Amino acid sequence: MLRIRLHGRGGQGIKTASQILGTAAHLAGFQAQDFPLYGAERRGAPITAYARVSKNIVLERGAIAQPDILLIGDETLLSDPLASVTEGTESSTLIFINSRHPSPDLKKHYQLESLPVQLDISGLCQKYIQKPMILSTALAAVGVRLMGHIGLHHLLKAIRDELGQERLSADQLANNLKLAEEAFQKVPSFDLEFRKFDDGFSASHLVVLERRPPVDSVPVIFATGNMALRKTGNWRTHRPVIHYEECNGCAICYARCPEGDIRMDANEKPVIDYDHCKGCLICATECPKHAIEIIREVASWN
Amino acid sequence: MTASILDSVEESKYKKVTDLNPQEEIAPGSALCAGCGGLEGMRLAMKVLGEDTLICNAAGCFTLISVYPFTPLKGSWLYTSMSGPVPAAQGARDALDIRMAKHGLDQKENMQVMVVAGDGATYDMGLSPTSAAIHRNLDFIYFCYDNEAYGNTGFQQSGSSPLGSYTMTSPSTLDHPAGSERSKKDLFGIWMAHNPPYLATVSPREPIDLSNKFKKAKDMKGPRLFICLSPCPTGWGFDPKETHLIAKLAVDTGIFPIKEFVNGKVIHTKRPRKRLPVEKYLERQKRFKHLFEPERRDDIIAQIQNNVDTYWEQYDE
Ligand SMILES: Cc1ncc(C[n+]2csc(CCOP(=O)(O)OP(=O)(O)O)c2C)c(N)n1
Ligand code: SF4
Ligand code: SF4
Ligand code: SF4
Ligand SMILES: [Mg+2]
Repeated sequence: MLRIRLHGRGGQGIKTASQILGTAAHLAGFQAQDFPLYGAERRGAPITAYARVSKNIVLERGAIAQPDILLIGDETLLSDPLASVTEGTESSTLIFINSRHPSPDLKKHYQLESLPVQLDISGLCQKYIQKPMILSTALAAVGVRLMGHIGLHHLLKAIRDELGQERLSADQLANNLKLAEEAFQKVPSFDLEFRKFDDGFSASHLVVLERRPPVDSVPVIFATGNMALRKTGNWRTHRPVIHYEECNGCAICYARCPEGDIRMDANEKPVIDYDHCKGCLICATECPKHAIEIIREVASWN
Repeated sequence: MTASILDSVEESKYKKVTDLNPQEEIAPGSALCAGCGGLEGMRLAMKVLGEDTLICNAAGCFTLISVYPFTPLKGSWLYTSMSGPVPAAQGARDALDIRMAKHGLDQKENMQVMVVAGDGATYDMGLSPTSAAIHRNLDFIYFCYDNEAYGNTGFQQSGSSPLGSYTMTSPSTLDHPAGSERSKKDLFGIWMAHNPPYLATVSPREPIDLSNKFKKAKDMKGPRLFICLSPCPTGWGFDPKETHLIAKLAVDTGIFPIKEFVNGKVIHTKRPRKRLPVEKYLERQKRFKHLFEPERRDDIIAQIQNNVDTYWEQYDE
């Protein structure tokens, strides 16, 4: 069996990527399983999806703790400890990162055990579908190629099958197919060996949970206001920047920010909390003086 | 009508946005979508209510406001199933009352009990327990953030989904071109028929109106009920930055009347002077796209317009 784990943010097509992967494997004659992990999280929040590909029936269920292939669609997740992106990886795990930085730099910056495979698939997405962070097609193509064993034609058929259901126009579908082909060609194939131990199902893998009183399973939070420890600032793709010389201190932006991320300081000027600002850009849209500029957020480091 | 607006302005505390409580009662960091209109409504409400609020929440998007082990609140948060928040509120209210009366709990420790629930929980699953609680005169606030579908499970049709809207369970098809063929339940009317001491609709786009209404309700007793139209970029299909624009258009087209019911009378506290055509609101949202493409469905748009006009005819001077 090969275990693949995909990381991205809600709204980036990570679930669809896992579906395309699973379908491509199925079309190539494998048994496949794919699914997203639904925390109840929202667009922008870290999400995880999984795929298992095997020559035999896939009996294993649940989240993949030790992936053979790790596909990271959104590089900013690597600096978010709560996303636990690299958890369970070993030096043999094949790691892919969607990034503009060269592989050795990525290894050093994120303290990875081995050199990751790197490709700027956002750039490819921008080129073909004009949406740099809709990664479903490109990330699936990369995953299929890295894994090996699955031909391009199976990948393309899987994309037609899966995206056909998403009411894409013929043009959009054609562009996605071109995108997939280029992403597929641009990464090497590793023809990974299937791990042996999935061939039999061994009772020693069963974990028997002991019985506990119900109170042990009722989560109770005693801290107050500790949600602020979760930094949602890296959900942002665009950053609102206030030009104070244009600002008249009307406080409209403060009133309208759903997150409460803008406060008025002692001089009655607004200050944005970038640690948490999700980048909805309501403030910039609502400012009557057009004093808030919108700039593209660059990658998590430069 | 104009006189009553002036009356209510005179007694109000909030006149401009700088009058709002600068303290944020909901800390940032929640997992709700960027640009969530309902969160903005609740943020403004909490600025008035303050930290001594015990919230009973029905499963839905807003359950993500407090996710173990994190909470953005200083007060308490109790999570329940979709039909359970009002019975939970009854239990919490009784517990506080009994402890104050018999077990020496200081009056200063008393809390305002508030239900926070989506439209699925409010219009559908929890309607009957709420009816019973209003009938029993339970002392609580009800805040319904209405995003007009079962949002958290992927946007299925609810009793609040408007006529002509696309949801996962009411797609536009050849046999059912409108998408949702039913109009929203008139929840305001249903609740009003119970004759509660206070009932109001609020919009996140109208922070002053919203704050004054919560201020008024805070000092009252018994069931005080709020419906907050909550533009939802994710489910309705618009760019998050347009949340307030959509909320404004809902008011300006007359689709969402801003009103209150107090002392047996309905008062419109933000009346659109000249109503914009409904399509100004509809055309900006993907959930109504099938009314404009591939061909315009004038019949359905006219029906929506007609419903709005019929509503306002009752109140025309
Ligand atoms: C009794 C019950 N039925 C079903 C569910 C599953 N469920 C959780 S959230 C949700 C959708 C809630 O819709 P709504 O009340 O409109 O809130 P929203 O998600 O839109 O914020 C559903 C169906 C539940 N938690 N409890
Ligand atoms: S972009 Fe959105 S979240 Fe960020 S400060 Fe502006 S309104 Fe608040
Ligand atoms: S809305 Fe614009 S002008 Fe008003 S305080 Fe904010 S930045 Fe300044
Ligand atoms: S789906 Fe809609 S209501 Fe739910 S959190 Fe997102 S924006 Fe808010
Ligand atoms: Mg809802």
